[in-house]
Amino acid sequence: MAKVNLDFAKGLPRVEEAETVIACFQCSACVAECPAAAHPPRFNPRDIVLKVLLGLEEELLRKDSVVWDCATCYTCMERCPQGVRPIEVITALKNLLAARGMLPPEAAAAENIRRTDRVIVHSEAVDRHRKELGLPHLSAEGKRIEEVMGCRNTPSSWDA
Amino acid sequence: MQEYALFLGCMIPMKLPQIDAAARAAFTGLGVKVEDVEDFSCCLEPWNFKGTDLAAWLKVAGRNLAVAEARGIDILTLCNGCSATLIEAAHLMRDGRAEAEEARKVLSKAGYKDDNKAKASHAVTFLSREVGKEKVEKSCKRRLSGLKVAVHYGCHLLRPSDVMELDDPFQPSFLDELVREAGAEPVECRGTMSCCGSAVLERGVSQAIAEEKLKAVEEAEVHCVVVICLACLGQFDLGQVELGRKAKKEARRKPIPVIHYFQLLVMTQGAEVKKLGFNRYKVKVDDLLKAVVA
Ligand code: SF4
Ligand code: SF4
Repeated sequence: MAKVNLDFAKGLPRVEEAETVIACFQCSACVAECPAAAHPPRFNPRDIVLKVLLGLEEELLRKDSVVWDCATCYTCMERCPQGVRPIEVITALKNLLAARGMLPPEAAAAENIRRTDRVIVHSEAVDRHRKELGLPHLSAEGKRIEEVMGCRNTPSSWDA
Repeated sequence: MQEYALFLGCMIPMKLPQIDAAARAAFTGLGVKVEDVEDFSCCLEPWNFKGTDLAAWLKVAGRNLAVAEARGIDILTLCNGCSATLIEAAHLMRDGRAEAEEARKVLSKAGYKDDNKAKASHAVTFLSREVGKEKVEKSCKRRLSGLKVAVHYGCHLLRPSDVMELDDPFQPSFLDELVREAGAEPVECRGTMSCCGSAVLERGVSQAIAEEKLKAVEEAEVHCVVVICLACLGQFDLGQVELGRKAKKEARRKPIPVIHYFQLLVMTQGAEVKKLGFNRYKVKVDDLLKAVVA
């Protein structure tokens, strides 16, 4: 039987938005124009909100979690008649997944920034293309944001 | 004259310098002065990074805002992602959540002062709100002969609307107007406000979302798609090549060029487009240029 965590909704990191789930009456207005839900079978913001309400933590916090299918278009929160922000609930769930080391490899690219200040890696080709267009030179070194960004405390899946 | 900090992020200067070049040329044409700030980092995109490490996302955005604040200037960006991160983070930094408190502490310890003084805007918002129709139109020296454009707003500049406070989140008009001011004709297109799908990690779903949009664009019989976001741009430009490869030969469609608004503007301003790297996209724009530039 599915394990239920009664404090699941309360424990979501973005507390104030996550608390909005309480107001959900499962009307599906958030689903109607959700681009990710238009391509079955997996994704449905109403269902994600319901699982949070029911405390079905294990169904959402898993390596192959459905939350990564969200297009982050914010349509759901604009359309919800109850002021629920499903997208923010999804963002909160993603943060929990990351903290537990359950990030999918595709999300790891963004982690370049911790080393180089940029998501994209600098190269000679970049310099050449910029020069061709008469654009100012880009500094290659990073490390400017290291001191503020810090390291994640929990090891993530791509380090393992 | 007031100056603005040009915030390029990392995609534009490194992968899409043609947009960098077009924007600078267009600013010159409009008499807007922009400054390069070496101390800026990547914005940290708001779709999946905000999702993987909210506190780090706030720290990086707060740092970039503090860098501009120290210079006493406002920020102009060329991408929905950079704009959304800087604008939304400035908002979230002040709502008392734990991650924001953590970010503020770390920033202040590192000597960054973020008192919400530097404002970030997308450069198209700036054109529409600050520069104004008259000046934009006046900067356009060349006439485009009947260039039909599918306008794609993307999501993050308009939504969440209670934070972005720009235009109607589902029926905006400012970019259509800017396209018209730049001498082209915005064409009504099914699903104009639909999302590009780029943030979806499941590639099949992501492509299916893009494909639907591209079909609508094709039906509208336009010369090109105009975007203001790099995620949308990649999703439609490279996306068309990927979809073409996947499709059966007889089902393959003629790809439609996808350009950034500033490339359209600079084209009408009369810039020598050969020097601006217009053809660095996967979908070539030669036909588009031949068709429209008199
Ligand atoms: S639109 Fe709001 S109330 Fe309706 S199902 Fe979605 S989250 Fe719940
Ligand atoms: S933000 Fe995510 S859940 Fe909400 S409508 Fe867009 S794709 Fe669907």
